[in-house]
Amino acid sequence: MASDDDKSEATESGSLAVSARGFSKHYGKQTAVNRVDLDIRKGEIYGLIGPDGSGKSSFMKAVAGVLSFEEGTLQVFDTVVDSEASAELIKQRIGFMPQGLGLNMYPDLSVEENIDFFARLRLVPDQSLTERKSRLLAMTRLEAFRDRPMKNLSGGMKQKLGLVCTLIHEPELIILDEPTTGVDPVSRRDFWSILARLLREQGITALVSTAYMDEATRFQRAALMYQGKVLAEGEPDVIGNLAQGTMITIDVEDQTKALALLSEQFEQIEAVGSRLRVWVDEPDEAAAEIQLRNALGGFVVHHVECDTPGLEDVFVAKLRQEGHVVAELPAFEAGTSSASGVAIEAHELSKCFDDFTAVDKISFTVPQGEIFGLLGANGAGKTTAIKMLTGIQLPTSGEGQVAGANMSTAAQLIKQRIGYMSQAFSLYLDLSVSENIKLFAGVYGLDPSMRRERSPWIIELAGLQGYEKDLAGSLPMGLRQRLALGCALVHKPQILFLDEPTSGVDPLGRRRFWEILFNLARVQNVTILVTTHYMSEAEHCDHLALMYAGKVVADDTPDNMKSAVTAEAGGLLEVSVDNPINAVGVLEESDYKGAALFGRKIHLWAPDDESSRNRIQSLLAEAGIAVLGIRSRSLSMEDVFVYRVLQQEKAREQSAA
Amino acid sequence: MNLYRIQAVISKEWREIVRDRLFLSLAFVVPAMLMLLFGFGLSLDVENIPFAIVDRDGTQLSRDYASRYTSSRYFDFQGYSQDEALLSEKLSTNELRAYIVIPEDFEKNLLAGKPASVQSILDGTFPARATTSKGYITAINTAYSSELLASYLSRTRGVSTAEATAALSPVSVSVRYLYNQSLLSTWSIAPKLIMVILMVSPPFLTALGVVREKERGSIYNIYASTVSRGEFLIGKITPYVLMSVVNSIILWLLATFLFGAPFKGDFLFFLLATAIYVMCTTGIGLVISVLVETQVAAMVVTAIATVVPAALYSGVLVPIPSLSGQAQVIAHALPAMYYTNILTGTFLKGIGLADLWQDVLILTIYAAGLFLVGYGLFSKRPRS
Repeated sequence: MASDDDKSEATESGSLAVSARGFSKHYGKQTAVNRVDLDIRKGEIYGLIGPDGSGKSSFMKAVAGVLSFEEGTLQVFDTVVDSEASAELIKQRIGFMPQGLGLNMYPDLSVEENIDFFARLRLVPDQSLTERKSRLLAMTRLEAFRDRPMKNLSGGMKQKLGLVCTLIHEPELIILDEPTTGVDPVSRRDFWSILARLLREQGITALVSTAYMDEATRFQRAALMYQGKVLAEGEPDVIGNLAQGTMITIDVEDQTKALALLSEQFEQIEAVGSRLRVWVDEPDEAAAEIQLRNALGGFVVHHVECDTPGLEDVFVAKLRQEGHVVAELPAFEAGTSSASGVAIEAHELSKCFDDFTAVDKISFTVPQGEIFGLLGANGAGKTTAIKMLTGIQLPTSGEGQVAGANMSTAAQLIKQRIGYMSQAFSLYLDLSVSENIKLFAGVYGLDPSMRRERSPWIIELAGLQGYEKDLAGSLPMGLRQRLALGCALVHKPQILFLDEPTSGVDPLGRRRFWEILFNLARVQNVTILVTTHYMSEAEHCDHLALMYAGKVVADDTPDNMKSAVTAEAGGLLEVSVDNPINAVGVLEESDYKGAALFGRKIHLWAPDDESSRNRIQSLLAEAGIAVLGIRSRSLSMEDVFVYRVLQQEKAREQSAA
Repeated sequence: MNLYRIQAVISKEWREIVRDRLFLSLAFVVPAMLMLLFGFGLSLDVENIPFAIVDRDGTQLSRDYASRYTSSRYFDFQGYSQDEALLSEKLSTNELRAYIVIPEDFEKNLLAGKPASVQSILDGTFPARATTSKGYITAINTAYSSELLASYLSRTRGVSTAEATAALSPVSVSVRYLYNQSLLSTWSIAPKLIMVILMVSPPFLTALGVVREKERGSIYNIYASTVSRGEFLIGKITPYVLMSVVNSIILWLLATFLFGAPFKGDFLFFLLATAIYVMCTTGIGLVISVLVETQVAAMVVTAIATVVPAALYSGVLVPIPSLSGQAQVIAHALPAMYYTNILTGTFLKGIGLADLWQDVLILTIYAAGLFLVGYGLFSKRPRS
């Protein structure tokens, strides 16, 4: 018996790359990671999912041997990591990419010099270096940029260079800390497909963290972390069972009233565009739909769609079930701005810097009370467009009306009528909450009585009751963001401009934020123009404009955008196979260039008909891969975004050629 | 120790330095600039003291006495005045540094064989200058008194003036200043400035260079890789040591050619000793950089840790033996003093390793010690 146990132990530990038991990490009195048990198998891509501050980075650093910890044991390969000396033993077998876009590289060095430095540190022989360098550069399509200084690369390219540098000594385990944060969806997909290919070709193990919940499907197994603890662990499907329920999307008349009614019964509900998304604590779809229809009573329901909830929904449901209560929102005064008609009109706006055109003749119209989303990769011109519309920068040519004033001649008037919140949240971090509000009230020239009226409303809006005397810098990101929003609203603007307002905020905070935006638009009739990197948020907008290289390349409602792409490209098929890592390679090398790995499934563009099904079947059968099922999937905004941007890139390459 | 890895770190660091044009130019411009600013500004010679005389007597003898001052190169005579209140006001506005008051009956008293007292009023805000001025006044006064006495004696005793003078000062002191014959302070200050600047500039460069990696997060490449602590630290500081050696040559050129300081020693010995001293001060920067997390903190700590010792405990302003007991202990515990010995030795005295080996040895031990402390404090697996 005893010898049997020993044997199974041995095989068990031999197949594990990382094994943690009761792992805890403290910073002073603060606990970052709290008694975590995790096993990472060799050859798998393992994910750590969770919002900022959930303990992902601390754990990954400890595994990489660059951070000491206080409690528990940690074994990496055959080595128990418990001292600086033992940590040194594993470092040749590990590649570590810390958090922060390109921050671990040297901005003044060229792409090639960066790679060479990492290789020489690891004593990679010159010949292998040359060979690996050209292979990895080709794979990441950075070959053309060998001599470019790293600081002049785009976000996505920096991230790929980081990956090359991490891989140059051919480690067995790579540890990537939030490699996709701050990178646009196209570059993100690119990054994942490169990673999948590496795993396929070299059989390495990857430990990857992400703050984007929808990336969970990219992992074979994952752990969902929150406040230093593992909430759930296993295959993405298993994590998805953390909370049982159904997600129902309904199209109903009088959205606002229906929302108010349903909120009484269903706590997890949100408005998405013209629809409502409701979580029903009932895994059976039919039963859940009946529950919802009963609750709606007399409302006319145009359309109902039931879905398995995504991980973000599950995560929020789990926290809600564990008793994280969200404070009530304050009352929104109905229609304070009576203005109707057009709130923002851009007509052929352009902005050139020297010989570089940041914004190229963009035109769009935003009616009063609409939530308008501006999407685009880093550097597509979104921020410049916002700066022109808010009167911060003058356009090179073209004109625009904002809140009834001409943006070229009446910038001052516009500033009085709009609110603006930037990526950095524009707060004074060493002032207290109430001092910040007072300051913004003063900047906008509010008289004391008005200020006394607005302050409590902002405090309530941000959920900051009891925090009034705290410094803004000491608040968690979610609260800080809502305070910034409140400050931008202090003078009751008609139009609100938000430049990537949700980066770095956890799902609960983002949900709350969009709830506020919805109320502002629907109840208070405020127009909102927002840019975002989170494609799931783009679905909340009434109308979207997609920017590419300074131009607006698509301008429509989210639904219409999706149907236009479906009409052009066919639908999105989801293929389940027994060997997904190899299958994606087979498909990519044939006509399905966009084939992408999502966990154990593959997504690709193809019309949903017999011929494409047969073609996929036969392609995979040739390679000896069994197909378990093919089904069509409804498009997400991310699919639309990636499709459109790739289309533009292709057109650009062709015109260049 | 793997030379290949050290070389990788050196070449990466060197490229970063070269590409960062601002950093590069500051690294070479600032030391030379400091040399120029201090070299021209920090002369300890006291000459051309703005000076006035109140002559209440107005006799031939009082004029004669006054002329001893007005003809001196140490005093810049501004004129006679009768208004003492005006002069003291000029003293307060720095138009004057000193004046003397020759009382009424100066001549009458002297001729009657009675003593006469002259009052001198000095600006005491800068004690070193005041002391020197007082010395000049005393010396001129003494010379004049003994002259008067000698001529009185020769008149009354019928001996020659020369005999009378000899009889009056049976012991005479003849002074010959070695090493700095004309007692020009730039001669002694220019070499010491090399010490001060090389105390301050290498630690700044090093501390900023290392902390920059910490602040950006690229230090994790080092933590996560197989490069050892020693290899990293050696590779990291080597470019800064080399840059500082180049700087020391520039400073040497400025000291000898621009400020005309004589260099009597062996240049190769000077260069070797300087390299060791630079390693020492680079080591200070290394230790600081291991301890702090941000570039701002690195600058503040480096400034405090280097500027004060370089100015006060090195023998630049005050000779070490003149320091108080505690200050002497501090001075001996810091590297600056030993390098000052080497500098004065090579520049003014022309001595070499045979006489200065102790100082060189102490600096070597110091450099090794600092490096070991930095090595011990640096961890590739920190607590946070």
